[in-house]
Amino acid sequence: MAPPNRTARVAVLGSSVQRSKSGHPKRGRTALVRRLVLVVLVLLALALLTISFRSPTSGALHDVQGAGSTALRPFQIAAERVAQPFRDVYGYFHGMTTAKSQNEKLRREVKQYRNETLKYQAAAAQVPELKRMLRYQEGPTFPNDFRPVNARVTSFPAGPFTQQIEIAAGSHSGIALNTPVVTYEGLVGRVTNVGPSTSVVTLITDADSAVPAKDLTTGVTGLVRRGTGTSLILDRVPKNEVVSKGDRLVTQGTRDPRYPDIYPYGIPIGRVSSVGYSDNAIFVQVQVAPFAQFGSFDSVTALVSTKPASKLP
Amino acid sequence: MSFVDGVKAAVLLFVAAIVQVSILTQIHVWGGVPDLLLVTLVAVALLRGAVVGAVGGFFAGLIVDTATFGQLGLTSLMLTFAGYWIGRYGETTGRDRAHAPFLSVAVVTVLYAFGLLLVHFFLGERAPAVPVLRGILPTIAMNLLLTAPVYALVRRLLRPASRSDLSTEVQLLG
Repeated sequence: MAPPNRTARVAVLGSSVQRSKSGHPKRGRTALVRRLVLVVLVLLALALLTISFRSPTSGALHDVQGAGSTALRPFQIAAERVAQPFRDVYGYFHGMTTAKSQNEKLRREVKQYRNETLKYQAAAAQVPELKRMLRYQEGPTFPNDFRPVNARVTSFPAGPFTQQIEIAAGSHSGIALNTPVVTYEGLVGRVTNVGPSTSVVTLITDADSAVPAKDLTTGVTGLVRRGTGTSLILDRVPKNEVVSKGDRLVTQGTRDPRYPDIYPYGIPIGRVSSVGYSDNAIFVQVQVAPFAQFGSFDSVTALVSTKPASKLP
Repeated sequence: MSFVDGVKAAVLLFVAAIVQVSILTQIHVWGGVPDLLLVTLVAVALLRGAVVGAVGGFFAGLIVDTATFGQLGLTSLMLTFAGYWIGRYGETTGRDRAHAPFLSVAVVTVLYAFGLLLVHFFLGERAPAVPVLRGILPTIAMNLLLTAPVYALVRRLLRPASRSDLSTEVQLLG
């Protein structure tokens, strides 16, 4: 805004023209009115803003605003109705142009969700087994001085000649050679080869396996070994000992501390399925049905000793 | 300004305000929203001066605040300043310049956005600067696209004021 006595430069003449001291009275009045209008409007706006800010949800101004909003609503609806066909046309063409990419995207999503569903279904199928395993680990039959290392079975026996499985846990998890391996059902075997993150477990159904066992009912002891095929037998039971069908067999554990057994006492092995006596045999022929279902478990528990390793003399 | 011109300007601003709150606020392009009301106000203020710009801005803001049930007086305050300032520009240096509407719209869009941000900040309300900054360029672009047709329409409805109607406190000759 120029001061009243401003010198205006006339470009054409290149000389300055001095305005009269009093200025143009009409122009002065106009400027005054203009400033007055601005000040009044700004003050009014500030007053509205203040009142509205102090009582945003009540008061006379709020009621007036509500009435005004109601009065304006028909105009807004009319505007929306006028715009709606254009919006629909835009939406139609926009939908057409994006339909292909959306279809592709949705197909990818369906594929992803299908994979995730399969994954969740597979995980859900494992829940009962894991729950039972957890119950076993927290139960009273879990051996003392051992901690559980749960591991997924990564490979199963390829045939009758290989009675070994591979598990996804190794020396990094504390697993060592001869670490007993169980499921919530019973004894599985022992670790016979250890890598950093994998181990090989030789099952008790292997020909080289022999587990000292005890009949919980009669207290008879013997060795659980592989019988004919992949069945198990309780070997080395003298004929004068009594073993009955249905007796439960568990690991015998260490009898002499000088010769510690690799299996702690009390791990279920199986149930006596038949008992046979033969005149020309020295021992009773005891068939054993193992508790562990060797062909069906997905995960096992390795029993890692928490006791410090004993030093050899 | 004649009574008829006043009515025309009022109708223009009213329609622009209704269209703005009903339709254009739903159009988001890269974070920006076209502001038909601001562009119309700029056109009216450029053609009719500061007083009409300020009064028009005040009442247009009042319509917006009422229709949206917003903070009453907030938009009025900002549009009053915008209308007054653009009106002064039109009365003085912007007169008869072809680029004046475009320049005014671009500058006022920025000042209006920052003004609103500032007032919200002073009121202790949520004032997110990042979305405003992100949307400022698309808003300017869309407002500039609106400027030519809107200015042509307003100029057609409101005949340009005669020089005697306008303030001549500062007049560039030549």
